[in-house]
Amino acid sequence: MDKDFKYVGHTFPIHDASQKVRGSLEYLSDIKLSDMLYAKLLLSPIAHALITRIDTSKAEALPGVMRVFTHLNTPSKTYSRYRIIPNQEFCLEDERLLTDKVRFAGDRVAVVVATSKEIAKQAIQIIQVEYKALPVLSTPEKALQEQVTRIHPEGNLLYEYEYKLGEQLPVTEDCVVVETVTNTQKVHHAAMETHVCLADFDSSEKLTLWAACQGVFGVRTIVADFLELSYNKVRVIKVPMGGSFGGRQETILEPLTAFLAKELRRPVKLSLTREETIISTMTRPATTSRIRTKVTKEGFLAECSVNTVLDAGAYASSSIDNTYVMSKKICKLYRISYYEHSGKTVYTNTPVAGGARGWGAPEIMTAIEIHMDEVAKSLGMDFIEFRLKNLVHPYDLDKTSQISLGNARVIDCLEKGAKAFGWSKRFKRETDQGRFRRGAGLACAAHKNGMYGGFPEHSTMTLKMNEDGSFILNTGLHELGCGTITSITQIAAEVLDIDPKYISTLEADTEYGPYDFGSYGSRVTYICGACAFEVAKCVKEKLLECASQILQRPIQYLDHKDGRVWVSGDEQHSISYRDIATTAKIKHNTDIVITHTYHGTSNPGAYAVHFAEVEVDTATGKVRVTDYLAAHDIGKAINPGMVEGQIQGGVQMGIGYALYEEIKVGNDGSILNSSLKNYHVLNAPDMPEVNILLIEQGGDEGPYGAKSIGEIAFVPVAAAVVNAVNNALGTSISNMPLTPEKILNALGGKKHAN
Amino acid sequence: MQIEFKVNGKEHNMNVQPTIRLVDLLREELGLIGTKEGCGEGECGSCTVIMNGKAVNSCLVLAPQIRGQEIFTIEALEQDGQLSKLQESFINNSAVQCGYCTPGMLMSAKALLMVNSHPSAKEIKTAIAGNLCRCTGYNKIVQAIQEVAVGDQKLGT
Ligand code: FES
Ligand code: FES
Repeated sequence: MDKDFKYVGHTFPIHDASQKVRGSLEYLSDIKLSDMLYAKLLLSPIAHALITRIDTSKAEALPGVMRVFTHLNTPSKTYSRYRIIPNQEFCLEDERLLTDKVRFAGDRVAVVVATSKEIAKQAIQIIQVEYKALPVLSTPEKALQEQVTRIHPEGNLLYEYEYKLGEQLPVTEDCVVVETVTNTQKVHHAAMETHVCLADFDSSEKLTLWAACQGVFGVRTIVADFLELSYNKVRVIKVPMGGSFGGRQETILEPLTAFLAKELRRPVKLSLTREETIISTMTRPATTSRIRTKVTKEGFLAECSVNTVLDAGAYASSSIDNTYVMSKKICKLYRISYYEHSGKTVYTNTPVAGGARGWGAPEIMTAIEIHMDEVAKSLGMDFIEFRLKNLVHPYDLDKTSQISLGNARVIDCLEKGAKAFGWSKRFKRETDQGRFRRGAGLACAAHKNGMYGGFPEHSTMTLKMNEDGSFILNTGLHELGCGTITSITQIAAEVLDIDPKYISTLEADTEYGPYDFGSYGSRVTYICGACAFEVAKCVKEKLLECASQILQRPIQYLDHKDGRVWVSGDEQHSISYRDIATTAKIKHNTDIVITHTYHGTSNPGAYAVHFAEVEVDTATGKVRVTDYLAAHDIGKAINPGMVEGQIQGGVQMGIGYALYEEIKVGNDGSILNSSLKNYHVLNAPDMPEVNILLIEQGGDEGPYGAKSIGEIAFVPVAAAVVNAVNNALGTSISNMPLTPEKILNALGGKKHAN
Repeated sequence: MQIEFKVNGKEHNMNVQPTIRLVDLLREELGLIGTKEGCGEGECGSCTVIMNGKAVNSCLVLAPQIRGQEIFTIEALEQDGQLSKLQESFINNSAVQCGYCTPGMLMSAKALLMVNSHPSAKEIKTAIAGNLCRCTGYNKIVQAIQEVAVGDQKLGT
């Protein structure tokens, strides 16, 4: 890793930054097609009911209304919004385009298609619906207890699993047993652009979808199969989006919008308001994890037993997999002799849970890291010392998958981070006695690099050289705003030894681009980046072969740099990439273009340790994060500026997760905060300065040693903040978010106990 | 109703619905798509424009309120094909990710710099307090604004 790179490891702005600062980039919400119609949804105001009557006649009579659809005139066929590939397991087909039975406040009841947004909105308001209310099951506990009311015909328990790994040691006297219960809540992804979809069905019977999505091929497989179109007749184009964070991973609006375009044979755009996006798209799942560990007096984890209940909301979406992957995380972080995990996925009459940054890792890591502090407290052991005894070491095997954790540098993150943060001084400071109490907290976290080990994992790219020596890299990538296109371009540029401005990297398009699973699972840099690396290597080999032919020297006698190739020792005798490409085409009938599929065969851990200092106002219960340090084992930062941005953004989201953010659902299933007025997203004054420490040790199969960052950046944050609050107050709060109310309660309880 | 107003230095005289919001007027009628909408209720700042020297949420401004006013949108920051220093600074500081908040952020920053060419970090944070960004954690945005060389911050003159 000593080699100095020209492009890798240097900061570049996101590829479309100059369009973004001009306001000239067209996001999906900006795109207008001629002849375009506007769709508007009618969402259920109540959480559980049968629709007994719908009268759309008034809406249909409104001038400008083209069509009105309900469950009565749409297919009764069901689909899964989560499916990425055909025949995928655990993709329950439990959703309809428009429902005859509403299962949450926000379920889709009807849709109007009109010539303008205003008309569509007016029409929605005059649709009359009669409901026959059913008992509302607003929590997993209620849904599991309920004997009669079923949210779906199969029952309210959607999925259940249990497994055990390793040997249970004989009970010894010298162990302490600690049990904690951590609740994490539903949150809104809060991407700044709300959800939108645009579809067209043309006279050649072809469907085109402009999708602000994380996986065009996933969208295609769902939509094409639903509408019974062959895949060559469905084109899904990835278009610019204002953030995602997992909120656009599943195929939410596309099946309906595609259906509408096909029925009307005109372009149809369906745009959601912020409120509709909050309640009717997807949320991070709410979870409860009960963790029980048996720990030796010396501080070694002997047994860990976890039970997780995940609230799927009203439809299955990705919740089965989400629950299951939660059992795959803890053993990536700690060495544990005996591990068991059981889980339940439960339907409730609440907004649908789905993919969200970190996919189960933030939820379970929050639980385990709050737990680890409690164990250390009962052992009377230093928080860091205790963790150091149990953290995984480089090249340990992941107990749950039997795959190597690779060059897992979490111990470095902890030790170096603690030093840089001044942990021991801050942690051991005298307890404040006044109104404002300071505290420090830390949390370790593990995540992954792609899907190898449980799912197919590969990526394909085509790299072609133009006549002038510039390149086009055609990919199935999705830029979500994280700098994917830039970092992939840097990797190819480094290999080809050419300024990145001469490489155009294209985003996903099912018709013109190669296949890729999509941007999730922390796979983009590690897997797609490796694909870019390899395809660029192949192309370079080919262009050197061409140069060798032109220069009449074997390849091993050639040197190259900055888009030129020459005979070693004779730099005068050189040829430019432009001349190579042109001569190859004209004289040698050779086109320099290669399509390459990279198959991932490893899945190391990505690690982070975060340190937070907070100040709690004991009079109001308000918490301020006053200082923050994030240490990350990233292998190699391809684009350090964007990496820092990912971490800072992750911290911002995580502080919100720890302290304020929650989609609150009443007992009757109503959504209590469906607007940014009462759903608090961290703003600039709330945000601390985030200091960053990158551990760049490479050692794995990612391009130039790089590992994932976008998801892991969010994973440890909530636990670090919660642990800091508990440290400040001497409490053991584990019920997120730590609202002022909960903090005052905990303080009240403590006084009482004293 | 008939209203006269100025956008990015250009006079407009239009017949509009009195209930139309400024954000729609800019985006739909004038094709200025740089102004974004993220909430429609004054909570996110994606729709920020400068009206008579002040940053305002254009989703909360109705047609009658813009009569005779001078409005600047993100499209005005670039002058003669040249990005402003503020825009350059956002690019160079990696302060742009998905970019959806960026136009609003830039307009709030511009409005601040027009009255205060040496803002402190705290003043910057206050000025952009109404602009939500979900991607960056604000650190780099604050840095980008602070780094702008102090110069002529007048706009559209
Ligand atoms: S769209 Fe105007 S403040 Fe959010
Ligand atoms: S850059 Fe995405 S919201 Fe700010």
